[in-house]
Amino acid sequence: MQDRVLLDVQHLKMYFPISGNGLLHRKTVPLKAVDDVSFSIIEGHTFGLVGESGCGKTTVGRTILKLYEATGGKIVYDGRDITAMTEKEYFPIRREMQMIFQDPMTSLDPRQTVNEIIGRPLMLQKLVSSKKERDERVQELLHMVGLKKDHANRYPHEFSGGQRQRIGIARALGLNPRFIVCDEPISALDVSIQAQVINILGDLQEKMGLTYLFISHDLSMIRHISHRVGVMYLGHIVEVADVEELYTSMRHPYTQSLMSAAPIADPEIAAASKRIILEGAVPSPLNPPSGCPFRTRCRFATDTCADRMPELKDVGGGHLVACHNML
Amino acid sequence: MSEHLLEVQNLRTSFVTGGGIVQAVRGVSMYVDRGEFIGIIGESGCGKSVSMLSVLRLLDDNAAVKADRIEFDGIDLQKQTRKSMRKILGRQIGMIFQDPMTSLNPLYTIGNQLTEPLCYHLKISKADARKEALNMLETVGINEPEKRLKQYPHELSGGMRQRAMIAIAMSCRPKLLIADEPTTALDVTIQAQIMELMAELKTKFTTSTILITHDLGVIASVCSRIMVMYGGKIMEQGTAGDIFYRPRHPYTEGLLRSVPGDGSGPKEKLIPIPGSPPDLMNPPAGCPFAARCKKAMKICGLAMPGLVDVAEGHKCACWLLYSRASGNREV
Repeated sequence: MQDRVLLDVQHLKMYFPISGNGLLHRKTVPLKAVDDVSFSIIEGHTFGLVGESGCGKTTVGRTILKLYEATGGKIVYDGRDITAMTEKEYFPIRREMQMIFQDPMTSLDPRQTVNEIIGRPLMLQKLVSSKKERDERVQELLHMVGLKKDHANRYPHEFSGGQRQRIGIARALGLNPRFIVCDEPISALDVSIQAQVINILGDLQEKMGLTYLFISHDLSMIRHISHRVGVMYLGHIVEVADVEELYTSMRHPYTQSLMSAAPIADPEIAAASKRIILEGAVPSPLNPPSGCPFRTRCRFATDTCADRMPELKDVGGGHLVACHNML
Repeated sequence: MSEHLLEVQNLRTSFVTGGGIVQAVRGVSMYVDRGEFIGIIGESGCGKSVSMLSVLRLLDDNAAVKADRIEFDGIDLQKQTRKSMRKILGRQIGMIFQDPMTSLNPLYTIGNQLTEPLCYHLKISKADARKEALNMLETVGINEPEKRLKQYPHELSGGMRQRAMIAIAMSCRPKLLIADEPTTALDVTIQAQIMELMAELKTKFTTSTILITHDLGVIASVCSRIMVMYGGKIMEQGTAGDIFYRPRHPYTEGLLRSVPGDGSGPKEKLIPIPGSPPDLMNPPAGCPFAARCKKAMKICGLAMPGLVDVAEGHKCACWLLYSRASGNREV
């Protein structure tokens, strides 16, 4: 298959207005959840987005799907700029861009049966013309994610976490999407169930040529499922590279410490590996440090890092790093 | 006999709920030696937290706890009254919970919550307790301890709150520390900080520690002995090496295979465990894992096997380890 870019995100910015502390002088301060993020995803590939909580990875996913109105930048999907599209113009494209949410309990309406949950989008997008056709399609979708036919008449609370996540996947698949944002789809699940969901996502990608934006904080799962990975810190992408390149020759100090902090499920390797323990915590995005956002916790920080935000530079082979003192 | 710091024999805990009786823990026996760092691993609902809460008698009234023996440092915990239990908890046994936001009291300052157990248990003056509190905060790596004493939990970050929680748990120098998923709510870089701190404190104070977690990665690096729980029972126990390199129970094997390996090619398929954990309202008569086990035999559905020694200190509860196993196999 020819490598064709399906989604291109350019200098995406998403600021949320937050009311300031002043009691009398109500000021709004922008919370820069996503600040100048650029990446692109090739059709049929998985782009993994990793980072700690609050780094803006979920906001990136939601902004791409136009669940938020981007403050700046461009989102180009399949050659069309969707950033400024109206709801009406976007409606037919929305079918192609779907989302799987983190928490399968809160993302399914507890008062709807599985049939309604999966079937309603089909009716809205006029993909089915009759109730009978809808029911058939729902059955087919349930089968695809490994659930039984008679599950259609049940309510979400009757399912386990893993099964609920399958319902969420079936709902997203119903519209024949081409692009799916998977926002931490496995982090609420038990280890033995995580692998089931990951395998379903992998099989579907193979069969239907789906493109994923896979958001997670689980580095080993990201490595397993992604073709290309972006590392985010405090609203910025600090490093992007093809998966093996990133995991074997990371160049950004943050990526390095993130990788070394990840727990390894192997006592001997864990004992042999040298951990870089970062000091302190992620700064508040309301009051980010000047220059490089990571400099307050970075071992290599110099004065330059406080002065200027480093640009995302290509260091060869599509490996991009934003650091003044890269490794 | 009582060389172990904590010894539990045949612990059974059940809860009376509107829907029926849930048998959360079904016959768990374990021990912890002095200075040992052990781990209990299992998925949600396997009974790992409940078994520890049962030992500490921290469960609500709808829980029925039975055991042949629960002995801590020569004291029979089952014979303690609520009042005498209070003298032990916090003093001899410290506990760290998963979510530091809900386990710290939002209405009291960190200083207040740190000095209270010191005054109560050690009967020292407020001024001395404050000194000790400052000392503890420094020990757990909280900077500007003077300032932190006056702050409320919401003013601290997640990692800081967990450090404060550890400081409170360790302040009376307990003999045993129980850490229930201490890093689950935290980010990886903060998780690494907290795990490092716990390992440090263990060597500093020679406290025995029980770490409860669902994360294979967290448990691999710190625990000397690991217990694998499933469906309210211990399925396998042994050293970290036994569990990770020489697992004998199909459940342990499955658990290890369902996480992506480190060196393996990224596109190698994961091998999930099919199905989901048993309903403990109606627990299966036999092995709780039988319904999901590829190697299950006829007998697995009928009776639960006992723990068998497979090597020195390595025990496993599986019918496959019995000599007649191969003859019983159903295809």
